[in-house]
Amino acid sequence: MADASIEFKGSSFTLSVLYLKTASLSNIRADLEKKIAQAPDFFYLVPIVVNIEQLSASVNDPVDYQAIKTLIEEFKFTFVGFTGSLAKEQRQVIRNLGFSFVNSAKTNSSGKQANTEMHMAAKTEQATVKTQQPLYTDKIHRGQIRSGQQVYAKDQNLVVIGSVSAGAEVIADGNIHIYGSLRGRAIAGAKGHHHAQIYCQNLEAELVSINGNYWLSESMEQHWSSPVYIHLTDNELMSSKLI
Amino acid sequence: MARIIVVTSGKGGVGKTTSSAAIGLGLALKGNKVVLIDFDIGLRNLDLIMGCERRVVYDFVNVINGEATLNQALIKDKRVSSLSILPASQTRDKDALNKENVGKVLEELGKSYDFIVCDSPAGIEAGAMMALYYADEAIVTTNPEVSSVRDSDRILGMLASRSRRAELGLEPIKEHLLLTRYSPKRVEEGEMLSVEDVVDILSIPLLGVIPESQAVLKASNAGEPVILDTDSDAGQAYQDVIERLLGETVDFRFLVAEKKGIFSRMFGG
Repeated sequence: MADASIEFKGSSFTLSVLYLKTASLSNIRADLEKKIAQAPDFFYLVPIVVNIEQLSASVNDPVDYQAIKTLIEEFKFTFVGFTGSLAKEQRQVIRNLGFSFVNSAKTNSSGKQANTEMHMAAKTEQATVKTQQPLYTDKIHRGQIRSGQQVYAKDQNLVVIGSVSAGAEVIADGNIHIYGSLRGRAIAGAKGHHHAQIYCQNLEAELVSINGNYWLSESMEQHWSSPVYIHLTDNELMSSKLI
Repeated sequence: MARIIVVTSGKGGVGKTTSSAAIGLGLALKGNKVVLIDFDIGLRNLDLIMGCERRVVYDFVNVINGEATLNQALIKDKRVSSLSILPASQTRDKDALNKENVGKVLEELGKSYDFIVCDSPAGIEAGAMMALYYADEAIVTTNPEVSSVRDSDRILGMLASRSRRAELGLEPIKEHLLLTRYSPKRVEEGEMLSVEDVVDILSIPLLGVIPESQAVLKASNAGEPVILDTDSDAGQAYQDVIERLLGETVDFRFLVAEKKGIFSRMFGG
């Protein structure tokens, strides 16, 4: 007879993963403090998995898992468990201590370590849908951006006071604001921010892209030659009229 | 100090040389001392349009290499004595010019002329960059057609970044839009971009609109710049351009298709 009151089902969630590169608690504490100070609400009660595959555990110098968990919780994360591609024995040690070990669907090989920081940024964002975008400063470009020219606002929003010609390209890690016509290409959230948006007074673009999702001109027919902003909703590009 | 004006476009065949010849001659007819320089090394055309091809002895490259003096190479126009032409070399290529020596020649010319009009080669390579490098003003010659507008946009980007004025952080090159081969009838039929479209895309001040005209080809073949053909609409439009370059405000003409009269309609004129 089936249980009427409960039911178990498998479901996948995107969780934030914290990659530890050292077992030194004081170093981890200092870096976490710095990170969290940038956006205190951003991390509050966020469920977090700790990846420890970069920590070298040895018999003489064992990793203090309990201390790591305590430290994480001190920062108001909701601790879920540990993860990483670890030896069977080490996983057993973790289990014996009473912590869950979370297997990632795609186990990150150590070759991807260089990307870990970006992974963390991207994953953290996906896990928290309605959080504010990191605060970026603005790069302001006065005048028209001509065919063949490229303007990149690294770790900034881009404000263009003028038009972006056909054959020109504007790229920003944050938002793009164009006080003029957008006839060339605009790529916002270039480092992977799905909150990034593109605003323009007249949309006649060759291409718009946010966080890797792109539209060619044929997809913009609905708001062609109108003042619009373009944003991502559920990983789909959307355009909305500005006025 | 002479005003150095480059006539440029990016795209070929839009009317740079025709416009250079008309503007050079037009400025000279107003009493200015003008020198026309052909930067299209290897494809000598300006002397043909000016009708002085048989009088070329030395050329721009000879002057650059120190093989001839400026006075030996400059050809005085037979119609207007205040106009000189510095022809391009037919036998060299565009690499024959270098910034330093071109600068010296322009400086020397600047002492005795009011206007230096540089006829740029097409493209965005070394030759075109050389022609625009020392410019104070640029006449961006554009046909009302998308590829020409796109190339002009590219050249405008170069003017703002690769010129001497840009490199030294001086006041930027003054940009003028010259729309050539304009056919109001085809604009009305939706086959051609309108003046408004082009001005909107390039967003630079309009210097003139030259209508598509049979007179231009006739003038080129005869070696008589079209501005001398005062009966033609193209000639008159170039005269308006000269007035505007000299600071006058002149209304734009030839922007609307002429309505056919009832008689010509009846008799199929």
